[in-house]
Amino acid sequence: MYRRIIVSVAILLWGIGIISNTPLLCAKVRTCPPFYLKNDSGEIINPIKGQNADQPYSTRQTCGACHDYDKITKGYHFQQGWDRIRDDFNKEKPWVLSDGMMGKH
Amino acid sequence: MAKKSNNSPDEIDLTTFQWVSAGSLDALGVPGCGGCHPGGGGLEFDRDGKRYDARLKNSPELAETLDGDYFKSRWDKAGVVQADCFICHLPGYDFKERNKHLKLFNYQWATVAASGIGLVDGFVREGQEPRVTYNKRLFNDDGRVVLDLSYPPPSENCVFCHGLSDLKKRGFSWNDRLNHDVHNLRNLQCAHCHPGDEAHNFAKGNENISTVRDDLDNTMMTCKDCHDQGFMGAPRPSHLSIRPGHLDKLACEVCHIPGINRAAGEGFDVATGMVVNYPKLGAKKIGEVFTWQPRFQRDDNGKLWPVNPLLFAFFTNQDSDGIYYPLFAREIKNGYSRIKDRLKDKAPRRPELHTDEEIELMLSALSEGLKNNKRFKQIKPYYHKSGTKCVLDEKGKVLKARDDTWVAHTEGFNINHNVAPAKLALGADGCGDCHSDDAHMFKGTVVTGLFGDDGKPETIKSGRLFGCRPWIYQLNQLHQKYLTPYVSIIIAIIVFFLVLHYTGQGPKRVDLYEDTAEITRFNLVERWTHLFRMTSFIFLAFTGFIFFYNNVTLLEIFFDSPQSAVVFHWVVGIVFTAASLVSIFLWARDAGFKPYDMQWLKKRGGYLGGRHEEVPAGRLNAGQKIFFWLSALFSLIMAVTGIMLIFKSSLGLGTICVLSTIHGFFSILFIASIIAHAYLGTIANPGTWRALVDGKVGRKWAEKHHSEWFKEVSKKK
Repeated sequence: MYRRIIVSVAILLWGIGIISNTPLLCAKVRTCPPFYLKNDSGEIINPIKGQNADQPYSTRQTCGACHDYDKITKGYHFQQGWDRIRDDFNKEKPWVLSDGMMGKH
Repeated sequence: MAKKSNNSPDEIDLTTFQWVSAGSLDALGVPGCGGCHPGGGGLEFDRDGKRYDARLKNSPELAETLDGDYFKSRWDKAGVVQADCFICHLPGYDFKERNKHLKLFNYQWATVAASGIGLVDGFVREGQEPRVTYNKRLFNDDGRVVLDLSYPPPSENCVFCHGLSDLKKRGFSWNDRLNHDVHNLRNLQCAHCHPGDEAHNFAKGNENISTVRDDLDNTMMTCKDCHDQGFMGAPRPSHLSIRPGHLDKLACEVCHIPGINRAAGEGFDVATGMVVNYPKLGAKKIGEVFTWQPRFQRDDNGKLWPVNPLLFAFFTNQDSDGIYYPLFAREIKNGYSRIKDRLKDKAPRRPELHTDEEIELMLSALSEGLKNNKRFKQIKPYYHKSGTKCVLDEKGKVLKARDDTWVAHTEGFNINHNVAPAKLALGADGCGDCHSDDAHMFKGTVVTGLFGDDGKPETIKSGRLFGCRPWIYQLNQLHQKYLTPYVSIIIAIIVFFLVLHYTGQGPKRVDLYEDTAEITRFNLVERWTHLFRMTSFIFLAFTGFIFFYNNVTLLEIFFDSPQSAVVFHWVVGIVFTAASLVSIFLWARDAGFKPYDMQWLKKRGGYLGGRHEEVPAGRLNAGQKIFFWLSALFSLIMAVTGIMLIFKSSLGLGTICVLSTIHGFFSILFIASIIAHAYLGTIANPGTWRALVDGKVGRKWAEKHHSEWFKEVSKKK
């Protein structure tokens, strides 16, 4: 009798354990895990709950939550000469304001 | 782009706000300036480091000032363009959608629409406030978005920008079966060769025209780096069939990108105020399937690279400070609109101004249009095309001069993608891939002006652009077409005539068995000198003969590689030169002509009939004397040209061509004369060769062949 109770309780506990450790059904990807979109103020955009759902997301706030946005945007593709732009950049060609695509022509 | 500080609206071309949305509204999906800027930097912060939208909201009066960041801007409504990570990292990103929203001032919404995470309704440019509807299918129940981002970025995303601009600059395309690239065919992605660091600066090659971040130039692995090491499985080529000098003077791309299969731009014309692109000559439009060959340009080290320059028809105004300022598109458009109705028989969008009358009309119209322009203190518009600058003189007539301004400085865009498989490379089918009449390398037609004075494109032969003048080419062709194919025939003919002579006239034989006494003809030093000269000549002739035909198999068999054969050739050449100098010192006195030599010559030495007659001769007969001085002359020519060719990497193309042709031509004469000399010194005159082995000759032989010398020797004894 006791033996049956012990086995039943053990099976019950095992079942509860499986259920409690099973994650909710969700999509996963390899590079970036699922993440919250954030608006310009850093507030979460949650279209499922309708939270800030009509606002555009901000990559500074969204991607910047995990990545160093400021460091990345110092790279050439983002600056394109803007970090060197000056009105007197080139005296021989006064219309040239930087050596990048922003201000080169 | 406009300066930050301006004194007049006339000075402002594109403000930063306009720069973001620049581009044709007729083609919303085609990127303008902002389309290919991923955001952040100058699209987020002004030149004072402030966020545009916030600053303009706080100080709306800025839009009324002449500030190049804010003049007539609507940052407060459009928002800023933050760095759009998805443009590179999200497969399936809709680049056209991005361009549309930027052109319609939806700066902060562009990423939402282009990523497909949400729909955006309404455009700031049309006075609406955009609204977002997110695609809930992309979100988990907890509200987190799930995106299959790619690291490193897929090539498809890189070519949003680099595909379009580089197609025009150099016919570049990627993932394109019709314009293949051997690396692409091996599944290499952009980021494999152009890896980035944490700051997202990417390794660059050696672009020679653009000054964009030159500090990053040459930070990627070169062709040689990968192919020497076998990096990423790159095959290691031996290039054995290629002359060593070619590898030093030609960039890999010259041979390995023999053609591009999408039409690049030939140039552009801004006469209407719009940029009108011209595709490669013969193509209908840029990007169509069309095979063309690059032109070639030397770098500072003299190395040749394939390039494609964009030619132009362009307008400037020379201000009172002497500087030629490029005219803004609106200033040119203003001028053109005044005269376009007077340009009869001209396509309105492609006027191709080339006659003096047309140029005069346009320059007059520009002068008129610039009259009240506060940008300039002096109105003096110039038209630049094909290396010529045109301006109106005091009488209003067109004055032309060679264009010595910055405008005329046209360098080509490097061509370094769309690499062909090795078997399609130049040289894979032999030297004729470049050194033949129909090869593009020297004789291909290259456009140098979009339209000349007759309205037709101006062209030149490809070789002219890297220093190969017509006479140099013809000289090279003499070498390639006549010397190389016929050298064996020439030598065979010589041998044939010697056989005819031997079988017809026969040897000048002497009965050596009855010759009891011997005399010394050549001492040990003389014999060794001849031996050195003879053996080194044989080696030189052997290697030189193989060089004539560029027979790599033979070079590999005998010398391991063509490079070592070249080194062997010039080392032996130095030995031969030294031996020749010693021989001149040894025999110059004996080779002096004497009166009796005339008699020898009259009797032609007895070699053409009369072989039993006595022909007087000194230690060297007249024929040997002629040969001696001739060989001395040939040796000198071969030595001078050969030694100079050792240092060919420091010489110009024309000099190399002249030297190698002379070297090749005289080598044939030299070899032919040596064959005749060998014949006469052996089987034609039995007993002669022995003089070069032990130095002795019989008295009868000496009396027969060198009677005067024999008399001298007999007297001394």
